[in-house]
Amino acid sequence: MLARNLPWLTMSKLKRREAVAGYVFILPWLISLLVFTLYPIITTLYLSFTNYTVVQPPVWVGLENYQTIFFNDPSIKPSVYNSVYYTLLSVPVGLILSLLLALVLNMRATGIGVYRTLFYLPSLVPPVAATIVFTVLFEARSGLINSFIRSFGLPAPAWFADPNWSKPGLVIMSLWGIGAQTLIFLAGLQDIPKSLLEAAEIDGANGAQKLWYITLPLLSNVILFNLVMNVIGSFQVFTQAVVIGGTTGNPMESTLMFMVHIYRNAFRYFKMGYASALSVLLFVVVMVVTLLIFRSARLWVFAEKDENA
Amino acid sequence: MASYPQSRRNPVSRRNFLRLAGMAGGGALLASCAPKATPTQKPTEPAVEAAPTEPPPAQEKLSLSFWTPGGSDVFCKGFGTIAEEYEKLTPNIDIGEAQCNPSGENFNEMLMANIAAATPPDTTIIWTSPAAFAARGALEALDDLMAVSKYSQLENWPAGVLASCQYRGKTYGLPATAGTYAIFYNQEMFEAKGIPSDRESFPKTWDEMRRLSKEFVKWDGDVLQSAGYIPWGIPGDTFSSAVEFAFWSAVNGSQLFDAKNLKYTIDSEQNIYTMQYALDWWDEQYKGDLTKVRTSANWGGYSDGEGRPPAFQENKLAMQTNGYWFTTDMYAVEMKFERWDVASVPVGPNGKKTASGYWPNWLVIPKGTKHVTEAFAYLDYMTVDGIKIWYNNIPDLPANKKTDPNLVPKTVVEKRGQELAASINTFFHQQLDVATPMWDSPVQDFFLDQLSRAIEQILGRAASPKDALGEAQKACQAELDKVLSS
Repeated sequence: MLARNLPWLTMSKLKRREAVAGYVFILPWLISLLVFTLYPIITTLYLSFTNYTVVQPPVWVGLENYQTIFFNDPSIKPSVYNSVYYTLLSVPVGLILSLLLALVLNMRATGIGVYRTLFYLPSLVPPVAATIVFTVLFEARSGLINSFIRSFGLPAPAWFADPNWSKPGLVIMSLWGIGAQTLIFLAGLQDIPKSLLEAAEIDGANGAQKLWYITLPLLSNVILFNLVMNVIGSFQVFTQAVVIGGTTGNPMESTLMFMVHIYRNAFRYFKMGYASALSVLLFVVVMVVTLLIFRSARLWVFAEKDENA
Repeated sequence: MASYPQSRRNPVSRRNFLRLAGMAGGGALLASCAPKATPTQKPTEPAVEAAPTEPPPAQEKLSLSFWTPGGSDVFCKGFGTIAEEYEKLTPNIDIGEAQCNPSGENFNEMLMANIAAATPPDTTIIWTSPAAFAARGALEALDDLMAVSKYSQLENWPAGVLASCQYRGKTYGLPATAGTYAIFYNQEMFEAKGIPSDRESFPKTWDEMRRLSKEFVKWDGDVLQSAGYIPWGIPGDTFSSAVEFAFWSAVNGSQLFDAKNLKYTIDSEQNIYTMQYALDWWDEQYKGDLTKVRTSANWGGYSDGEGRPPAFQENKLAMQTNGYWFTTDMYAVEMKFERWDVASVPVGPNGKKTASGYWPNWLVIPKGTKHVTEAFAYLDYMTVDGIKIWYNNIPDLPANKKTDPNLVPKTVVEKRGQELAASINTFFHQQLDVATPMWDSPVQDFFLDQLSRAIEQILGRAASPKDALGEAQKACQAELDKVLSS
């Protein structure tokens, strides 16, 4: 019984030595996990119950920071609204466009490799540089995008100068980096057995039917992966928002994302305790949403059944 | 022959080598995470008997570090010249090269991190209120050193300006320069409409100024071609508006923060009226539409991020509030007119007298600095002697009463002549005497963000002045109470 619970005791000398060597090899990773991931997470949780201004030691304040979040922070509502708005809009739009792009790039055509590279390249551009370029493109009066819209005689929005258009502007900007998830979709598409598509074709299925009944179900695992990653990424959108709207979320807090609010409290007001509480809240929300997505995956993610099981 | 395991026969077997290498790597990683040795030398206690410009002789040459949060190349290099001059007077002191914004934009973050890590600079300029830094325990109190200094006694500073450095009865900084605010106006635009352009004829009340503003407002469809005055501040730059709101509140008989009683008064009746007045002005002259005004032109005094030239210099904005620094800065872009002047801020219906605001360069000594006395001596020198070099490079308005009152910005002399330059300079110095206390809250950054949020909501019609200012009041007071109780 003891030996079953403690296999270490029954191991041969050689096996034990091999196990030690294994642990030694993973030690650098293990240490970095403990020091740079687990320790900050636990510290953040602890600091969320304190008042900590960096220079002086943290002072325990119990649930005060959480009370402030729910009852006394006027910027919570707009920052939550902005982040949810951005997530609800950017995730589906990004997924659909990247999937369509992957379908196009999956075709056999001359120079398709070049196109694949070209579509992936934008995701390598540093976000700050890309955002600055987009602010010029979206400039209300003489920006390229508004000049194009006006050439059709249509009214052009003020984009990042107008609180009603700044978030759609950010969503459009987020599409600049869909190359990475397109590549993941493309890998998934290339994993789909050709025999299934050919069989469907023989049975008389048209393109749309093949997409709906074969491609999408077999790609559902990849869709799930991209969905989860996109939702997490969208809740954590920061760079684009802070470059465009600063820490106050100009115009009219319309670009004040939750992450910007955390950053502002941590590094502008030096309220590390409160910022930690906000981070814990974000962590919990993202975790719950992710779990809900995984739960819902049972209904829509195709899993091949093992007939012999 | 006995058979020995491989490892016994060859002590540096591949397996052993890898095991040792792994352990060594892990050990090195752990060692790199260990805290660095704590300096055993205690920070020098402030020595009140030391004469600041004659620091106590040291056996070895003492090095002092100096930071600034940023500024132009000329601004930064100027500190090298000041340091050289100071080193001639005090051969035992070596002032290191000024670290001009060593961390990009996040200066406060870097400064706080260095204070927390016990590696602060000996002296630094800050552009955030010393009261706010002091409330976090990040600065050295300077009162004892100021009392025995050559230049920096309390009475040598304008009271309203010094208030920004004080927290709970102690002084934590020197407001070396404090550019005051005024209304800049384009005399040529006035004269083109037959309006007297001398300083004395400038409107004295809000109603007069609003009527005058209307003369210059010209729309072409939804594009604002020219404007008179846009209340209160630069549309879209809510942070500046929040800063400037302090003196608009003061000229209407109110204030935003009562430092004596540590109470915010953001939503006072007068302040609500001040914002309602701005709204009515916007409705009357600017279609009540912040977005249309913002997209029509750049209404600030500097080229904006979109490369648009500033409307004032373009002859499209008749009046704007700005600080002393603008007397020189306005020439950084092409001026489409020559003649301008400055006037006092007009008085609101509930106010009795004019007021001004100010924006200083604060000199402070971070907590944990090892050479407080020597560092203060350098700062004391800089406020009066060094400021001449500083002023020659960047004409910031010196605040210490012992500075040479005849310092006049070279650019203004070149562009407008000695007489007018001197008159403008005297005017801005007088503005120091009517400067309303500001920058004196321990939660200054939080307060400015809340106020700019409220102003934006009001002008964007997302909330009434009463509700928006009320919300800012509630949040700021709660934040202040939290800081005071901690």
